[in-house]
Amino acid sequence: MTMTDCASCADERAAGAAFCEACGRALGAPCPNCGIPGGVGEDGYCQNCGMLAGRPRDHIEADCGDIAAAVTDRGRRHHRNEDAMWLAVRDGEVDVVVCDGVSASFDPDVASETAANRAGELLASSPDVSAAISGAKEAVAALVTGGDPRRTASNPACTIVAAAVRGAEINIGWVGDSRAYWLPPDGPAEQLTEDDSWATHAIAMGADPEAAMRDPKAHAITAWLGADAAPVQPRTGAFTVVGAGHLVLCSDGLWNYLTDPAAFGSTIRAHLHAGDTLVDAARSLAEFANAAGGADNITVALIPVSSPVLEETAAAPSPSTVASPDTAAENVVKE
Amino acid sequence: MPYTAEAFQNEFLALGATEVNAIITVTSSGAEGGRRTAGATEIIIVDASGSMQAEGRINAARQAAKAAVECIDDGVNFAIIAGVSTAQQLFPAPGQLAVSSPQSRADAIRAIDRLQASGGTAMGAWLLLAAQLFSQRPGDIAHAILLTDGDNGERAGYLETVLDSIAGRFACDCRGVGVNWKVSELRKIAEAMLGTVDIVAQPSGLTASFEQMMVKAMGKTSADVQLKVWTPVNATVRFVKQVEPEVMDLTGKRVADGPRASRYPLGSWGAESRDYHVCVDVAPGAAGDEMLAARVSIVEGDQVHAQALVRAVWTEDSALSTRINRQVAHYTGQAELAEAIQAGIEARKAGDDRTATIKFGRAAQLAHASGNTATEELLATVVDIEDAATGTVRLRRKVEAADEMALDTRSTKTVRVGRQR
Repeated sequence: MTMTDCASCADERAAGAAFCEACGRALGAPCPNCGIPGGVGEDGYCQNCGMLAGRPRDHIEADCGDIAAAVTDRGRRHHRNEDAMWLAVRDGEVDVVVCDGVSASFDPDVASETAANRAGELLASSPDVSAAISGAKEAVAALVTGGDPRRTASNPACTIVAAAVRGAEINIGWVGDSRAYWLPPDGPAEQLTEDDSWATHAIAMGADPEAAMRDPKAHAITAWLGADAAPVQPRTGAFTVVGAGHLVLCSDGLWNYLTDPAAFGSTIRAHLHAGDTLVDAARSLAEFANAAGGADNITVALIPVSSPVLEETAAAPSPSTVASPDTAAENVVKE
Repeated sequence: MPYTAEAFQNEFLALGATEVNAIITVTSSGAEGGRRTAGATEIIIVDASGSMQAEGRINAARQAAKAAVECIDDGVNFAIIAGVSTAQQLFPAPGQLAVSSPQSRADAIRAIDRLQASGGTAMGAWLLLAAQLFSQRPGDIAHAILLTDGDNGERAGYLETVLDSIAGRFACDCRGVGVNWKVSELRKIAEAMLGTVDIVAQPSGLTASFEQMMVKAMGKTSADVQLKVWTPVNATVRFVKQVEPEVMDLTGKRVADGPRASRYPLGSWGAESRDYHVCVDVAPGAAGDEMLAARVSIVEGDQVHAQALVRAVWTEDSALSTRINRQVAHYTGQAELAEAIQAGIEARKAGDDRTATIKFGRAAQLAHASGNTATEELLATVVDIEDAATGTVRLRRKVEAADEMALDTRSTKTVRVGRQR
């Protein structure tokens, strides 16, 4: 986008602007809201109707071919994307982090981005997910000491779910209600995380699950990363994949529309089959959530994982599972 | 860049809401290392009407004018006008401006000794002569001090006509000595000329008052700073007010600048900080929409010094849209405080004690709640404040005229809140 004097009236005030102040002729990109040609100014706002044309974080795709893919999307109802993600792929290793900013705090988008980046950086040097989450917590807590009084007054906060995939070995950890699932080739998806939420606690205490989920407090999270959070004990799990399947990390912007594990499994699988690539599937899952209402920011990461044993005996018909499906819950170590 | 502009607001609006409010704090460290970017001209207008003989006012005015002259920096242009039924230039020769130097200041001080009080009061004519003198130096930081002790003697409407023709040409700080002048008259001049108005009840206070005004004027480094407000299509600016250091409504001083922008004059600037309240009505957006409701720039000519964005974000989350922004709430209260005091004074003069009590009560409540102790103390000279928290006041039977005038002139003085959003 080149900025010059207004071509129509040569008014010099147009220099550096996206809209000629003298004749009203627009000089930038067309506005997606009011459609005025060349309406979008350098600061992203339309010079005619004032609407924000879009933010870089509104929709981001991470495409690592057939090794992994992740997509984050603003959704339909929120004005900005407060989710953040990290996806790193090295030889046989995948680090993935999904964070969801807590809207009730100030600058939750900064909190989620800070946490995702810090945890991702730490995972690059060590698969210790617990240490990565603790590091992310410190980074988010440090935001309040950055000098911005608004952040000090209202602690930026976010959730986190992180996974380090090393061959068939998977370490996961989480704080809050962003989730990790194991998706076998068929059957219901298996939730690897347990939400730090009011509903989960209430159900654990014996409340009727349906009633608990209907409660207005259902989604209130009971643990988060932030300066005002209680000392964080990230909950972690470690397991070895036997067979093949997909590790799925997502924020509640997606799983809210797929609370039933069977529906979650079949929907993800349908999108995996329909898309040519992993990133197509991740994008179409974000579109699915948007079509369902897009009430929250949406982030989904898809990582195919298989055991080397299965690769060597590709013809073997044995169903792929997480090592010992019956004890998978026990594999999720609660610290 | 010596200027900064920062917006304080709650950008979140409930669905259907269209009113966007923001406080813009503009701070300047003074242009180019505190040096003036333009020349400067100072004119001192001293009322020399017959009434100035009372209470030794003319002698005090002479001393004050001399003290003010002593404060004028070398190289600044200046003149002194003696205000009677016509405007008479006391110094230098009629139609001339002097250039400040030890010699010219000594000459001016000798000229001031010749100032005699006899004749009438013709503020329109005084201001018109000042405007003529200032017009010799276009682009200068132009500032005048006007001192009077009585009502304007010109025919009704003449002063207003003059103000219409000279508004924006220079800044004029007005001072009334004694209690026989009208606050409303000097306020009219101060508002038109982007200046201040205050009472100097005792002639002995004049020297300090003049020195203070002149020192402040000498600190100005930029001549004509403006607030430029861009708004999107289908948006209207409801008001633009200076709200700190004192309330001054700038809405009516709007000058269109292109199809979507207007400029509001801010006058001259030195190293200082002022707050502005901008209120814009916009077309409503849908949930999740973010709009730039106003782009507020600090400009001098075509040069943009600083910019702040006023945003509107529509949300279904009432926890966000109902958040009160402290700055906006505070200054909305300060503006209401000034209005309540002026309405209270008017009602009291009209004999409407009931309305006066209600207005002063509200004022006491607002002054107390916002920590504006200076205004609260001034209020206490006019009413007995029984309970500031609930706004319970009783009108005083006997009120000193000077106290009421001080309350009136200083009703627009505001205080700042802590820098927290």
